[in-house]
Amino acid sequence: MTSLEQLQQDFVNMLNHGSMDFENHIAAQEGALAPTQRAEIYQNAYRIRLTKVLEQDHEMLGLYLGDELFDEMVKGYLARFPSSAPSLREFGDRLPQFLSEHQPFSEHGILKEIALFERLLLKAFDAGDSKTLQFAQLQSIEQANWPNIQFQLHESVYLLTCQFSAVESWQALKSDQSPPSPDIQSPHHWIIAREPDKRTGFYALSTCHYHCLTSMQNGLPFGFVCEAAAQYAESEEQGTMQVMELLQKGIELGWFKSDIRVQQA
Amino acid sequence: MSNTSHPFVGFGLGLRTCYFEEILATQPKVDWFEIISENYFVDGGKPWHYLAQIKEQYPIVMHGVSMSIGSTSEINFSYLDSLKKTINRVDPLWISDHLCFSSLGDFNSHDLLPMPYTEEALSHLTERLNIVQDYLQRPLILENVSSYLTYQASQMSEWEFLSELHNRTQCQFLLDINNIYVSARNHDFAPETFLNAIPEKAIAQIHLAGHSDFGSHIIDTHDQPICDHVWQLFKDFAKKRGPINTMIERDDNFPPFKELMAELDHARSLVPKSWSIHDFT
Repeated sequence: MTSLEQLQQDFVNMLNHGSMDFENHIAAQEGALAPTQRAEIYQNAYRIRLTKVLEQDHEMLGLYLGDELFDEMVKGYLARFPSSAPSLREFGDRLPQFLSEHQPFSEHGILKEIALFERLLLKAFDAGDSKTLQFAQLQSIEQANWPNIQFQLHESVYLLTCQFSAVESWQALKSDQSPPSPDIQSPHHWIIAREPDKRTGFYALSTCHYHCLTSMQNGLPFGFVCEAAAQYAESEEQGTMQVMELLQKGIELGWFKSDIRVQQA
Repeated sequence: MSNTSHPFVGFGLGLRTCYFEEILATQPKVDWFEIISENYFVDGGKPWHYLAQIKEQYPIVMHGVSMSIGSTSEINFSYLDSLKKTINRVDPLWISDHLCFSSLGDFNSHDLLPMPYTEEALSHLTERLNIVQDYLQRPLILENVSSYLTYQASQMSEWEFLSELHNRTQCQFLLDINNIYVSARNHDFAPETFLNAIPEKAIAQIHLAGHSDFGSHIIDTHDQPICDHVWQLFKDFAKKRGPINTMIERDDNFPPFKELMAELDHARSLVPKSWSIHDFT
């Protein structure tokens, strides 16, 4: 190892593990600061910077946890998943995983779900800018082609299924209200997507609409999407109506790409 | 990759998301804007939406914070690829990053960690700079960072180190006068010594920014107004030099936009007439 490599390794070990071998590289200087204090400036800056990122990216999770538990989470996360990506936007990507694997957080499944919801809001915000589907495009589709049409979800669309009241709790905290009980009777489905004004929005989805969207995400053509919908409606006709209702809402809110394909028989 | 001088295009501001709408609505008298390169390493969304409109009206330059050119790890070509794609999309007047290391292996500090001023570091940076510039097919301007420590290993001053790097590579620097002031206070040297030592042809851009003074030391926070000492250093420096692209950089604690404009106008008022490209009076 060259001396430059050793110096950088010791610097990183000091930041990441608190190892003070690095102090041997620091020259004593006149003035008020000792070498230890000079090293601590970098240590503090590292911890403060990354803590701030998690505070900004996971504001409602922070409120849900309270200061003490949030600090414990940050400390544990920094130790388990030090930042490796050049962009700070990716630093918290493994926070849901951390919360699901480490006590005391793993005992409360809602925490992972709130963190995941907040990460998806960020991902939707940064997603690509493909053109969105317009109503006029539907009019140009020939009747015979409709069953074979493949609608594609826009890059900013994320689907989320929660086993707890994660999104409702997020909404309550955002409005300075107390969060509801974490327990819910059946899974809640959500769509997160960037809207035409570039703000990120989210909507509750019926089970039927959720399965329609996952069918589209899996590349199934319109005919199969309607069949999937029929399983959650009273009749095939009502299933198709559900899909048309979803298409209308999705087109208004920019959930689909303008690039529609016709699957060849 | 040979380095060329960049034309003088005037006085710029750091483009930050909180000012997007006001800039588009008021079309302020700013000669150019500087973006943080990594903030545009995403596929789309609000930043790109606004940047596309702003770049129709103003020249853009790109300033990176994560290249880690001084790192002893292998060059991160994935990062360079993202940078190159962003460059192609933005078409900036020039690009810059910092003379430092910020990552090592899989660890990213997200800080601008100083290099030791040694012959070994000079050779290392010379080699890396050539590789990066060849890959990007354009010159890379390097900014001096603030520092809070001096390495035992250093064999020369920071300004001697920069000058020697310029001699070897013809690279140009983005001199952050605030960073020089911060380091000068933390290491007890005269900031004028640093500024006077850098050859004029080696300077492509100037940053002016603020810091937080803790008495025993200064932290480069870039979240405060520019202090009187830094203004005076800039004024004295400008008297002795030909026009250099100058920018007000604010990274946190964002004030109303008009306060940044007032700082930009103040910078314009401190320079010789030869630096003027517009009459904004």
